Amino acid sequence: MLDLLLRFQAMDRRWVFLGMAISIVVPMLLPFNLPFKVDGRVQDLYDRVEALEAGDAVYISADFDPGSRPELEPFFRTHLHHLFRKDVRVVMGTLWPTAPPLVKPILEEIAGEYDKEYGRDWTFLGYIDGRELAIKSLGQSVRKTYPLDDRGNKTADLPVMLGLDAIRDFDILTSVSAGFPGTQAYVLQIQGQYNLEMASACTAVSAPDYIPYYQSGQLFGLSGGMPGSAQYEKLVYADTPEENRPRLAATSGMNVLSVGHMYIIVLLFLGNLAFFLTRGGKED
Amino acid sequence: MKRTLPILITFVIGVIMVGEFFIPHWRYRALTGELLEWGIILTAGAFILGLVNLIQVHLPTVVERGTDWGYKAVLLVSLAVTLAMGFSNGKQRLDSGMEVSFSYKWIFDYVYVPLSATMFALLAFYIASAGFRAFRARNAEATLLLVAAALVMFASVPIGEGVPVIGEYLVALKDWTLDVPNNAARRAIFIGAALGAISTGLRVILGLERSHLGGD
Amino acid sequence: MDLLTITGIWISIFLTLAILSFLYDDNPIYKFAEHLFMGVGIGIGTIEIYYGVFQPKLLRPLLEEHRLLSLFPLLLLVLLFAKVTRKHQDWARIPIAFIVAAFAGVKLTGEANGRLVEQVRASMPDLQTLYETNGWWDWDNGGAGVISGLVLVLGLCACLLHFYFSTPHNKPMRAISRIGILTLMLSFGASFGFTVMGRISLAIGRAEALLGLDQPNSLIKLGSMEVHRMTATRWTTVGTMLLVILSIAWLKRRAANSAEAD
Repeated sequence: MLDLLLRFQAMDRRWVFLGMAISIVVPMLLPFNLPFKVDGRVQDLYDRVEALEAGDAVYISADFDPGSRPELEPFFRTHLHHLFRKDVRVVMGTLWPTAPPLVKPILEEIAGEYDKEYGRDWTFLGYIDGRELAIKSLGQSVRKTYPLDDRGNKTADLPVMLGLDAIRDFDILTSVSAGFPGTQAYVLQIQGQYNLEMASACTAVSAPDYIPYYQSGQLFGLSGGMPGSAQYEKLVYADTPEENRPRLAATSGMNVLSVGHMYIIVLLFLGNLAFFLTRGGKED
Repeated sequence: MKRTLPILITFVIGVIMVGEFFIPHWRYRALTGELLEWGIILTAGAFILGLVNLIQVHLPTVVERGTDWGYKAVLLVSLAVTLAMGFSNGKQRLDSGMEVSFSYKWIFDYVYVPLSATMFALLAFYIASAGFRAFRARNAEATLLLVAAALVMFASVPIGEGVPVIGEYLVALKDWTLDVPNNAARRAIFIGAALGAISTGLRVILGLERSHLGGD
Repeated sequence: MDLLTITGIWISIFLTLAILSFLYDDNPIYKFAEHLFMGVGIGIGTIEIYYGVFQPKLLRPLLEEHRLLSLFPLLLLVLLFAKVTRKHQDWARIPIAFIVAAFAGVKLTGEANGRLVEQVRASMPDLQTLYETNGWWDWDNGGAGVISGLVLVLGLCACLLHFYFSTPHNKPMRAISRIGILTLMLSFGASFGFTVMGRISLAIGRAEALLGLDQPNSLIKLGSMEVHRMTATRWTTVGTMLLVILSIAWLKRRAANSAEAD
């Protein structure tokens, strides 16, 4: 047994990679469904968006790229469905150069499903560089920061921007953030200065970092990683018949995530078991 | 003069930008707004400077058939093709339907997306390997770290939540770990980092920190 | 489905497997994909910067609106590009000083307000309200209550004192420092757990793409045949995997043979 564990501990890491691949592929090919609960941070996010009224305005900063799509795109899609369902005006920009080709088609697709008109109900302002400087500039004036939108039209002339200039004119700010610049930069630069109502959907890696912002009230809601996106999907589509729902990518990924996590936990356990059994007599 | 003027500019611009937080008067905001615009343009310019530097470094190697010249040629050719498609497609480059022909959007959808996503996906395998080979409970601190990690991993997914009897307590314990000790530690790190950032910012603005100006 | 789209799907599967081949060993196909990624990524960044920043904020104000104030950032930009020359690179200090100062100024106030003031304010719990809402400990609310409030404040102070190195730690300080370390370990453990979650999520995304699960399983026309998209994708994945494995084996054998010949 000890010999087996020692050989196991010293095995080529490529076997570990293969195990990881199997633990991801098999539950995809043999899907199962386990229920999951919604945590308070996601519930608060949903409740505040649900309280929006027709004609309210939301600024979305879609700061993610293909590398973080599985965690954030499900939230992003669901959030757009949620907002358009409530006839909220959506103004979107991004601080990441590789985001526009990813997020613009999604916005157009979902806006089209609700017969929302470009320029009147939504607009995509495009990419702006400058990180914290761009965010500070948004705080002062969205129109000045983005003089033209992505289609080359003057932002100030768009009906969707009626009554909206400084970021505080928006009812809420949603940051869909895969890293820097993103949620943290918005919280530090303009959330406090303008007392904004701000929510964040972030990658799982960033979630423990942003929990203090949620606890302190700087964020009214926080969705962390794939579980957060899945919980938000559960809330938004709770009353939608299954045949009318779009593909819930995060929800279907949760069970694969379960198996993947169990694989890692088993590896940690076996690695430490071998370590403890071989440690006998050795000083640390 | 070579250093005095930049130091003076650092001081003036720095003080003005600090004032942006405190002075809401529209004239002051107009000034800071204009300076922010300049800063945005310059930050974008720094990216282009990086691009120029990249070409300066790699192009001679390709021309002279130096080490790994083939790969560098791939880099430069793909860069050139992407730029060409981007500029030729212009404002319509992101329009739906563009991906049905060879275009900027096609390159993004079928070349950049799989490459970018898979680069990050590799990390899943490396974290499994690292956890298995290196993560050892050698002492009390490491054990605590391991236990917290296992708890969060187990209780964050449906399998953990669904364990009979103890499942809901595990979830509550996971939430407590995130809301209390994680919060306490992060706040301590934030407070320390904020103090450091404030002092570094002041040092830069007051001209005590000049490393960004390079040597003489 | 037209030929270009089919080619695109095949290319995306090939590039995915090319990157994944690095898990087996570093190889020329991975290196090719890596350099392609860099080239395309930088190209995309440049295009978006041009259309997102230079066109609306510099070219249009100068060329269409004839805004003279825009000459200043243009001048600074020219000075910045002096960095590529050896003779005039000192002029680049001016725009660099501008950028550094602007960022220092906004970060200073941002960190002071967002992290220092707000976080310290939130770290002073109202114990009476906590007791009225959650009592001493509330299992239904993730363990919220007076005990948790006190643990949070004590843990925070212990962590801060652990990082205080201006005087040597005496015995009481060492005890407090140890509590700080244990609090940090719980936090880092939670971080590791979430990091694992994040990384596996990304791998799930790619696996879905390789298995054809990320798109609707519509019928597609391939020549005279009609086949489900998922089936076509999976067969393409298997075929491409074989192609990648054979290519890597052939390239490695060729490299070994030429090394032997040398």
